[in-house]
Amino acid sequence: MVRAMHSMLATLLFWIVVLMTVTAATFVVVARNILHAAFALAVAFLGVAGIYIFLHADFLAAVQLIVYVGGIIVLVMFAIMFSAHTQEGTVEPRRTWLALGGGALVAGVVLAATIMLINRLQVPLAEANAHADAAYRTTASAAPGEIALGHVLLGEYLLPFEVASILILAALVGAVAIVRKETR
Amino acid sequence: MDAFAHGLVLADQGLLSSGPNNLFNYLILGGVLFALGIFAMVSRKNAVGILLGVELILNASGINFVAFARFNGHQAGYHGFDGQVFTLFIIVLAAAEAAVALALVLAVFQTHRTIEMDRVDELRM
Repeated sequence: MVRAMHSMLATLLFWIVVLMTVTAATFVVVARNILHAAFALAVAFLGVAGIYIFLHADFLAAVQLIVYVGGIIVLVMFAIMFSAHTQEGTVEPRRTWLALGGGALVAGVVLAATIMLINRLQVPLAEANAHADAAYRTTASAAPGEIALGHVLLGEYLLPFEVASILILAALVGAVAIVRKETR
Repeated sequence: MDAFAHGLVLADQGLLSSGPNNLFNYLILGGVLFALGIFAMVSRKNAVGILLGVELILNASGINFVAFARFNGHQAGYHGFDGQVFTLFIIVLAAAEAAVALALVLAVFQTHRTIEMDRVDELRM
C-alpha cells in the first residue's frame, strides 16, 4: 500500500517536471523578449536536472545545475545586457510568416521522424523497461553510482577527460581573443 | 502511418502511465525538446535566441543518452555508465561552445551595432 502510494507520487511528480520542462522550452521558443526567453531557459534546465534525478543520475543533475543554470545562463544574460542599450533593445522584431512556417515544418518533420525511430527501436520498449537499472544494480552493489561513475570517468575515459580540459582552455583564450579590442 | 499506430498501441498498454520507469516517456521528451530547439534555430532573428535553441538541442541529446544508459540491460563486464559520461562531455562542450558563441555575438555587436542576423549581411563595413 505504502509502496503503491510512493510509486504514484513519483509518477505524479515526474509528469509535473515533464510539463514544466516542455512549457518552459516552448516559452523559450515563442517569447519575443530575448531576456524572458533566457529566464525560461533557466527553468527548462532546472526541469532537465529533475529528469536526470528520475534517471538515477544524481551527479549529472548537480553538474547540470552548476554548469547550465549557474554558468551558461549567466553568460547569456551578460551577452544580452552588453548587446542592448535599452530595455526595448531586448525585444525581437516580429518574425515573418515564412520563418515561422519554415521552422514549424522542419521541427515537425524532425519530431515525426523521431517518433518513427522510437517505434523501430531494436530492443522493444517493454523489454527495455523490464531491465531498467540492471547495469547499475550489478556494478554499483557495493558503491554508490557517483563512485562508480568517477572510476569510469578517470579510468576508461581519462584521455577524453584531459582533452576536454585542453578544449576548455582553448575556448577560454579564443573567447578573450575574439572580443578583445585592438589597442594599437 | 504504421509506426504511429504502433506508438498509440504502446500508449494504450498503460506504458505511458508508468511515468518515470518508462523509456518511451524520456525519448518523447527528448524528441519534443529537440524539435523546439530546431524551431528556435530556424525562426529566431536574434543571435542569442539561436544560441538558446542550440542549448535546448544539446539538453535533448543529453536526456536521450542518460535514458538509454539507465534502460540498458546488463552484460558481463559492462559498467553501464557510458551514457552518463557522454552527457558529461556534452555539458562540457556546451559550456565551451556557449563561451565562444557569445564572444562572437559581442564581436558582431561591436562592428555592426546589432545582433539581428537579418541585418548582419555585409562582409565588410
